[in-house]
Amino acid sequence: MRRSLGLNILLAIAGIFLLVLVVLPFWWVFSSSFKLPQEIISRTPTFFPHSFTVQHYAGLLTRSAYATYVVNSLIVAIASTLITLLLAVPAAYAFFRLEFPGRQALYRIILLAYAFPSIVILIPLFGMFAKLGIIDTLPALIGVNVAFALPFSIWMLRSFLASVPREIEEAAVIDGAPPTVILRRIMIPLIAPGIASVAIFAFISSWTEYVFASVLIISDAKRTVPVGFSGIIGQYQIDWGLLLAGAGLAVLPVIILFAFVGRWFVSGLTEGAVK
Amino acid sequence: MRNPTLLAFVFVAPAMSVLLLILGWPLVSAIILSLQDVRSVGSPGAWIGLDNYAKLLADPSLWRATGMSIAWVAANAVLQTALAMIAALVLSQNFPGVRIARTWIILTWIVPTVVVVIIWRWLFSTSGGMINPLIVQSGLSARPIGFFSTPWMAFATLVFINSWRWFPFVTLMLLAGMTRIPGDLYEAARIDGASAWKRFSRITWPLLKPTLGVLSVVGTLLSFNVFDIIWLMTAGGPAGGTRTLPVLIYETAFKGYRLSEAATMSVIATVLLLTFALLTVRSLDRQEERE
Amino acid sequence: MTKTSLSILAFASMLLSSTAYAAPVEVTLWHMEQPPHRVARVQELIDAFNASHPEIVVKQEPQSWGEVYAKVPAALAAGAGPDMLFAIPDFAPILKKTGALTSVADFVAELDKKHKFIPSTVQSYSYDGGVWAIPLYNMSMNLWYRKSDLEKAGLKVPATWEEWEAAAKALSQGGAYGVGVPANKQLYTDQTVYSLMVNGGATEIYNEDGTLRFDNPETVGAFEFYTKLNKLSPPDSTSWTWGEAEACFVSKSCGMIMQFSVISTYDTQGGGEPSDLGVAAIPTEEAGAEANTIAYANAVMLLSKDDAKTKASQEFIAWLLEPENYGKFLNMEPGLFMPVTEDGAKAETFWNDPMVEKYKSQIETVIANSKNGRLFGFTSGRTFPSIAAISAQNLIAETLQDIVVAGTDAKGAVAQGQARMVEASK
Repeated sequence: MRRSLGLNILLAIAGIFLLVLVVLPFWWVFSSSFKLPQEIISRTPTFFPHSFTVQHYAGLLTRSAYATYVVNSLIVAIASTLITLLLAVPAAYAFFRLEFPGRQALYRIILLAYAFPSIVILIPLFGMFAKLGIIDTLPALIGVNVAFALPFSIWMLRSFLASVPREIEEAAVIDGAPPTVILRRIMIPLIAPGIASVAIFAFISSWTEYVFASVLIISDAKRTVPVGFSGIIGQYQIDWGLLLAGAGLAVLPVIILFAFVGRWFVSGLTEGAVK
Repeated sequence: MRNPTLLAFVFVAPAMSVLLLILGWPLVSAIILSLQDVRSVGSPGAWIGLDNYAKLLADPSLWRATGMSIAWVAANAVLQTALAMIAALVLSQNFPGVRIARTWIILTWIVPTVVVVIIWRWLFSTSGGMINPLIVQSGLSARPIGFFSTPWMAFATLVFINSWRWFPFVTLMLLAGMTRIPGDLYEAARIDGASAWKRFSRITWPLLKPTLGVLSVVGTLLSFNVFDIIWLMTAGGPAGGTRTLPVLIYETAFKGYRLSEAATMSVIATVLLLTFALLTVRSLDRQEERE
Repeated sequence: MTKTSLSILAFASMLLSSTAYAAPVEVTLWHMEQPPHRVARVQELIDAFNASHPEIVVKQEPQSWGEVYAKVPAALAAGAGPDMLFAIPDFAPILKKTGALTSVADFVAELDKKHKFIPSTVQSYSYDGGVWAIPLYNMSMNLWYRKSDLEKAGLKVPATWEEWEAAAKALSQGGAYGVGVPANKQLYTDQTVYSLMVNGGATEIYNEDGTLRFDNPETVGAFEFYTKLNKLSPPDSTSWTWGEAEACFVSKSCGMIMQFSVISTYDTQGGGEPSDLGVAAIPTEEAGAEANTIAYANAVMLLSKDDAKTKASQEFIAWLLEPENYGKFLNMEPGLFMPVTEDGAKAETFWNDPMVEKYKSQIETVIANSKNGRLFGFTSGRTFPSIAAISAQNLIAETLQDIVVAGTDAKGAVAQGQARMVEASK
């Protein structure tokens, strides 16, 4: 597949632009997190660090429950993702393929979930969870995250199902396969990219969720990374070094996770995109 | 042959029950709240029926915030789609390192909002940040720029930061959508000697429309309701320059101690968004049927 | 049964019940001092208390200021709230309205006899015939500068607004800003603006009858002067919170700032020699007037309705205020938290801290300044609950933004500010 010179130049420019846009801020943050405090706040910032220290990271890890936050975040994110997939895939298939009364109406109602500012359900939800005794528990967060990820997931999956050629499905039906088998053996593999994108969405949404995590969790031992991080950085002072180290550590676990799993997800997602 | 309705029920019920329990019931609670006069959380409120609605529908600050939210959605949609389109097109090509790039394009999206806020507040600050010294040194501006010092600047800067944060998600969706475009179409077009632009405008763009359609509805709703990044960065300021509807609702509930009024605003917002969503979905469905 | 055996039985059962294991009373404390070193210090103190008081177990749960306004009322309404809560004056009226607070006037009077509270700290929590929290630590706004800067410019420490403006102009050179004052719609800006109002004759924002008198010539004057200072400040001051101002000062980008304390940042981030750090009272409008400042008397509220827990909480607080523990408590952030009691101000445990020793003269000045501390809405001995909404919505800061960002003139902005406050009070 040959590309013209002009196209190559365009591609290069666009590529460099994206690289700078995405990577440069992180480089600045990451490199500065190893600088001595004076260099960080100096009026003439440096691209390459002139000093080197790990005091910020040491301080962060020894003086805060950072490791706990990471574990909590991972538990909540992984559980939310799995449960979302478990609930969304069958639901999407049902909305798409199975005839049942109220199908159209119900499908539209799911839209409702994104149509209102989530802050307003914060207080009633708190009250309800309190009565159920699940305030300050991770399942409460998992429940909320699943609820927020479901509508989009169902939508996305349905739209992917819609693009599977009818003939494949019909062949299976003619062979006498029941819907569950069709779903499992045929449809799911065919919509792997859709499932991958929904999984990523659910995981990241859960990983970065702040508002509900900050209110539904009370004790430090159950905090997730975003909430724990914002607590560490302090209200009245800004220790830039600590902040930048914290920023790095807040992203690190997901980066590590993605270094292992990401390639698999994303390639499944984009394999067919290369033309 | 199993009863299809029963099967459908089994497939759909778990998801629906989660939604009803966690979103549905609190939403009903909020509607009830809007018909009362509850001030701060936990305090009792008298029933005042539709008084809150009458008061707020006539309140210019509600409409100003709504207008700002609409502007916010539009600006974000444009910037994010543009960035994502560029990224998706670049990443769908073959060049050394593209596999790595495809995995790591999501870097800005996996960052928790508080971290995004910290990063950009530091980068944009006039004493110690990275960007202003670059601007001054390169001669683009004689004095440091206050990125949050005027309403317009703050709005624009926030749109940039929010788009920076979200465009990888849109990129992924577009890439996923691109997988559904059969490769033979491109081959045929190439054989026919179609230019890159023609291939894009005649094949890629039209066939991405369904994906873009879903994205536009969901994206609008998600964008409209973005709260945390605006709140943490500018708290709706300066001088109300970034006071979108969710910000106004939060302020009213937790700073103004007017829970019922906030609930009323939320219901009004929901009605508006729902109308938009239903209309768009209907037109998308009609488009889908046509194809 | 014979009488003897009955009485033996009775005696035995009495013995048994009195030595029966009594489960310790558990009390939870919520506070907003989240920086890890503060949490660690509080834990140290809690561990020491728990060890010496085996019948009580205290637990701490640090919270963030951002969440607390929503979380506490919700938690209390759901019966999941804490037994003790650190708070600032404008948070108390909210909780009082929901009926969560009971007056601790007797307890405070008891403690006052022992330790002598600074009157203004108790005043902030005394209204409606009760005292609603126990003062615990004080923070007051001061003017920070570098002595060498002023020397080089041949100036003396500004004591009036005129001198202040002159000093700010003189220090604005070489890319540095002479002064850094915030203009953000946020609590820090409320605090700095009010610090000026209080030194320009505009202390009271309420009339005796509870109506607002924010709109008056003195307030306008204060805003006008503040605007002048803001013009000399960095352009990103519209997004400043306490941290940015400190960073500006410590990095020598700002010559002067108003802050509760910069000691910790100055020391750890290389601001300069301890002896070069200067602190003064906020300048007054008129020469020779007594300097005032804004002061936040942080206090602890008792929220439990259970007698045993209330008593346990009181024991903990009384223990904290003892001079041999109090100094350690205050020094969870050396140089920031000031004593609210007279014997606390003399406590060895306070002055023994290495950081406090290093900056002794500055801290002495800060303590002296804090005696004249006031807080808007809590100044006349009467407190009006509407202050909570006014403070939470940062209406003073919003008025400033109207001038600095939207370009309204000071008179118009203050009038608008008054209108907003009236609306928020409804």
